[in-house]
Amino acid sequence: MKVSLFITCLSDAIYPRVGEAMVRLLAAHGVRLDFPPVQTCCGQPSYNSGYWDETRVAAKTILEAFDDSDFVVCPSGSCTYMIHHYPELFADEPVWLEKAKRLEAKAYEFTQFLVQVLGITDLGAHFPHKVTYHPSCHGSRLLGVKDEPMALLSQVKGLELVPLPFAEDCCGFGGTFAIKMSDISGAMVTEKVDHVKETQAEVLVGLDMACLMNIAGNLRYRNEPVRVMHLAELLYEGVRTG
Amino acid sequence: MVTEHQQWLAQLEKKSIEKQEQFMNDIASKLRRPRQRQAPTQPFRGAPDFWTELEWDEEKRIQAFTDNFVSVGAHIARVKNMEEVSQFIANKSRELSARYIIRQNEQALKDLGLEEQLPEVQISVWNSQADENWKARAAEADIGVVMADYATAYTGSVTVLSSPEKGRSVSLLPTVLIIIIPVHRLYTRLGETLDRFDEVGRENLPAGIHFISGPSRSSDIENDLTIGVHGPGIVYGLIMG
Amino acid sequence: MSQPGVMDTTVKERAGLALNDDFLRKAVKFTTERLRNGKKSASEEHGNWDEWRERGRQIRLHTIAHLDYYLNEFVNNARANGVHIHFADTSVEAAAIALDIAAHKQASTVVKSKSMVSEEVHLNHVLESAGIEAIETDLGEYIIQLAGEAPSHIVIPAIHKNRYQIAELLSKEAGEILEPDTTVLAGFVRKKLREKFLEADIGMTGCNFAIAETGSMVLFENEGNARMVSTVPRTQITLMGMERIIPSWTDLEVMATLLPRSATGQKLTMYMSGITGPRRTADADGPDEMHIIIVDNGRSLQLGDPEFQELLNCIRCGACLNACPVYRHIGGHAYGGTYSGPIGAVLTPALNGNIDEWNDIAGASSLCGACYEACPVKIPLHDMLVYLRRRKVEDGHGNKMESMGMKGFAAVVSNSKSFSAAIRLGQIGQKAVVRNNGISLKLGPLKGWNNYRVAPSLAKKSFRQQWNKLDQELNEKQRAMDSSVRSRMEQIIREREEGEGKKHGH
Repeated sequence: MKVSLFITCLSDAIYPRVGEAMVRLLAAHGVRLDFPPVQTCCGQPSYNSGYWDETRVAAKTILEAFDDSDFVVCPSGSCTYMIHHYPELFADEPVWLEKAKRLEAKAYEFTQFLVQVLGITDLGAHFPHKVTYHPSCHGSRLLGVKDEPMALLSQVKGLELVPLPFAEDCCGFGGTFAIKMSDISGAMVTEKVDHVKETQAEVLVGLDMACLMNIAGNLRYRNEPVRVMHLAELLYEGVRTG
Repeated sequence: MVTEHQQWLAQLEKKSIEKQEQFMNDIASKLRRPRQRQAPTQPFRGAPDFWTELEWDEEKRIQAFTDNFVSVGAHIARVKNMEEVSQFIANKSRELSARYIIRQNEQALKDLGLEEQLPEVQISVWNSQADENWKARAAEADIGVVMADYATAYTGSVTVLSSPEKGRSVSLLPTVLIIIIPVHRLYTRLGETLDRFDEVGRENLPAGIHFISGPSRSSDIENDLTIGVHGPGIVYGLIMG
Repeated sequence: MSQPGVMDTTVKERAGLALNDDFLRKAVKFTTERLRNGKKSASEEHGNWDEWRERGRQIRLHTIAHLDYYLNEFVNNARANGVHIHFADTSVEAAAIALDIAAHKQASTVVKSKSMVSEEVHLNHVLESAGIEAIETDLGEYIIQLAGEAPSHIVIPAIHKNRYQIAELLSKEAGEILEPDTTVLAGFVRKKLREKFLEADIGMTGCNFAIAETGSMVLFENEGNARMVSTVPRTQITLMGMERIIPSWTDLEVMATLLPRSATGQKLTMYMSGITGPRRTADADGPDEMHIIIVDNGRSLQLGDPEFQELLNCIRCGACLNACPVYRHIGGHAYGGTYSGPIGAVLTPALNGNIDEWNDIAGASSLCGACYEACPVKIPLHDMLVYLRRRKVEDGHGNKMESMGMKGFAAVVSNSKSFSAAIRLGQIGQKAVVRNNGISLKLGPLKGWNNYRVAPSLAKKSFRQQWNKLDQELNEKQRAMDSSVRSRMEQIIREREEGEGKKHGH
């Protein structure tokens, strides 16, 4: 059984601890992730801006990396969802199209993998803090990840979950949108952080480092001491210290 | 004798019929297929099946209609028969110091005997004679009285159909609108009324079919709700039976 | 299609203006939240919302796929009812036909109810240039007409104006000072427009839906002005987008369920009117003469285009505007066209048939998908925005700097060697600017980001640099997989191979 880690370029270069947390958590349940190094990036940045040739270059590394995996696990809803665009991108290339369709069927976002595939919601974590949760747009709206993170959070001992007002509103990242339309994006992330502050939570947890990086950046800019974590990191810390 | 205007309209029609073929052919060619000339089978027509099974009993229909109607700022009164309707209208008229009332030219409304009950009020009967400016009569009326042709409990709506005897203006122009709703005309779903119009067919439809669900309203100024913008601001529904 | 002079500015600039207008932002936020909450309650209360959406989508898809049949039926039936039908390929033609009719009726005053199409074809401007008074009668439209502005929201056009501004406008019209009180202001408009309704020569309407099988047109409204303009004046002219067709009255139940709830959270608008032809000979109200102008103006360009044909499903409810976080911050005028919000961002370039002119509109989105989630007929606007961006690049109109950047990106991600090398380069290069694991530098591409954030630094060691060590460590503490977990996973693989796998994603 080959279960592979799709690390995402962001976690690879900036947040390796997310990958480490996933690998260790799953190893504790007897699931050893392997890491095919051929993978680089899912191609979202170029896809969203309309540069599909460049996207295919990136996508091919992903298709190649996971060609013979049985399961692929990814700490990002948007990168996992990006794979669902691959059949469209390779509609005219039958060899790659076939790989794309197979990958679509076996790629899972992290919480989907834990809950749907492994059937696990209680990892034995203890995390006695006030936490609020931001549901990333692509993961929740497009990939349909809504119940799984809730199921996992509800089993963490000592964790007080405070609802985030207007949680479903976009944080304003949108990839190159944050650079190209920086003032609109800035207004959106400012509003998101205003809502985070309202909860008075100690920790903001999420499923996508792109969103979390964006929100953390504004929190830090405004000297707010809220800790920002990926759910994998939270669960791993909860298991390690619990 | 054909007027110049009619000639012009006839010319336009000729142009329109020619243009029609072109227009539709263009659509078909963009869809990359020949013209669709036969009615296609609709895979999904109307509301989902589970919805068409919804049917409430009379008590529930009356309650739902009342709740909906009242929630938008209209008023409901429960009356047993047309005598009580007549009483209600007469009382209301005196309460509001109405000077002008307009009603549809229906036998049932004639039988209300409003003219006898309210001799001091000028009561117009829609289109009851030629050479009268009926729209102006409706515009000056304090109260308009109509009878619902159908009503829908789920949305709190009444439906009125136009005819030579039933003006569209009577339920639109007066300040106050009183609608008599015979309970046997109150259905559960909107579709029950809408389906009828498919059933009777094009030639049997009136010019105006109006669904009214409450008083005229707008929130266009700073999201602040205001009632009675163009249509009647005060609406009474008399559920009868 | 556009406001005069709007091409001279970019979306970014117009958005900047909006972002600095505190009242506008508060007003747009308040309005969209109210409408969004209304929709949420109304759709939840009604229940099975997704099934209704799918139904609405299927009915619209089917109608558009057979538009030549249904539109043709509508035209023939409407004509049989006594309606005069006209076809306009372009906005210029549509306005010209309307003007022609008005001129023939020697009209001096036209009263209008809400019609986005009439805004699209700049009808008021055309009528006024010919000396015909064209009066908007929808309260919000009347206000912005007096102000000489375009609507900033499909459903509530004047949300960008406060009551003081409105009182000022209406006082000028009244010739006396009116208090900035909603009831007073609305009362004045009711009285003033009453006169106009009764004396106008022509009433003009838009068209929410047109029923093919009976040649009837349907209007949804709350104020009563659409009924007014289609009942009182002796001539009626209706402007109708060619795609506004549904087959039957029973199909109207689905639209009547989706539209009001999506637009404002109402079960039904106060008035829903089905008009089947001009007045009958013996009727004492209703128009003597009725015209319907069927407008193309770029709609047919979407037919046969698998990426954009679904755009024609739109029922103009405005739910996407209320759901859109970008719209909430910048309001409607920043979009620069008749239609704003997510639908406007796609419709404007699509109807115009050229993306270049509207080059940045499709860029004003984070692709969050809230519009798609809100749409009662499930139009994938978030996908269409990406298609627009792609077409612009394919047409060779992509931003030069961005194209170069993307080529660089492709070079870096083309294989793991260059990817690793790029990361290593970054790890070294960033040393000069990293402070406490963060980068605050506001230079170059970082400027936009760091105006609002502190950027993160690259990790000292990337995941792939640490992998071998981690992998080895775990080899030493090997733990067997739980047998029940293993059988679950094997079952999933089996189902997948048999093609019965549960779809776990979208």
